[in-house]
Amino acid sequence: MTAESEKIEEPKGLETPQDIPDGWQANIIAFACHYCAFAAADLAGVMRLSYPANVKVVRLPCTGKLDQIYLLRAFERGVDGVFAAG
Amino acid sequence: MIVGEQKPFDEVWEMVKGHKQLTVFGCNTCVAVCHQGGNKEAEILASLLKMRATQEGVDIEIVDGGIERQCEHPFFESAQEVLKESEAVLSLACGIGVQFMAQKYKTTPIYPALNTTFLGDVQEDGYFTEKCQACGDCVLGVTGGVCPVTRCCKRLFNGPCGGSTNGKCEISKDIDCAWQLVVDRLEALGKIKDYEKITPVKDWSKDRAGGPRSFKLEGF
Ligand code: SF4
Ligand code: SF4
Repeated sequence: MTAESEKIEEPKGLETPQDIPDGWQANIIAFACHYCAFAAADLAGVMRLSYPANVKVVRLPCTGKLDQIYLLRAFERGVDGVFAAG
Repeated sequence: MIVGEQKPFDEVWEMVKGHKQLTVFGCNTCVAVCHQGGNKEAEILASLLKMRATQEGVDIEIVDGGIERQCEHPFFESAQEVLKESEAVLSLACGIGVQFMAQKYKTTPIYPALNTTFLGDVQEDGYFTEKCQACGDCVLGVTGGVCPVTRCCKRLFNGPCGGSTNGKCEISKDIDCAWQLVVDRLEALGKIKDYEKITPVKDWSKDRAGGPRSFKLEGF
């Protein structure tokens, strides 16, 4: 379950360029294939390996399900980087 | 099919940025085949425009949609609502679709997102070539299926000219000489004798010389 504070919301208003605050971390969304990359992430979890909290993983049935518009919508909503793994 | 190419993004942005609401509207037939104007491309262009609006601090509500064909009334039925509500429309159809919509929605500005480039074929995935200029009086039957109007750079009807070299046209080494293609094809068909026949002066009144053309079927 994703905590409320972790959800990536629709932008609330217009964004203006700002100085990068101290301690800022890029907001990364990872699209992972259920059968390989997501399974690998799962295994990493079982092995108690950790990854930074600024990465959110979205499971896809296959990376073939990835569509340009998923990437663009992520950027529209303020995601800084997209990682596709599969 | 009709081939088009998306206009440079900045040009599109300049056209539409003054509106408060914009519908980015795809046409899912010819221009979808060349990956420039289909409903999917409309969705992508709408997303890029939203991001540009955000970056520039411009407040525009942008939605996307599309239909199968923007050059025929019945296809518009499914989109009546969204189009009636639109302050402006950015159409990804060819010039025909844009004009058809402008005629249909008399008080809504309809902007073209594409440059309509030619009537062509799909040689291979992602590669389109011009093949016909709709001259209104087809001569393919005597030229072995190679169009001299479109494919000969000088539109010669009794070619080749003196510039034909090693099968290439004198204007570019990347362009096949249409008349070399005609000769090769007539040879392959065993009709090379037909090459000797002089083609009379073409009747250009059936081309654009007579103004915009139309065609009406009886009984409809
Ligand atoms: S001769 Fe005219 S109608 Fe025939 S392919 Fe060429 S341009 Fe088109
Ligand atoms: S070289 Fe061939 S295609 Fe080019 S203008 Fe001459 S006849 Fe036409």
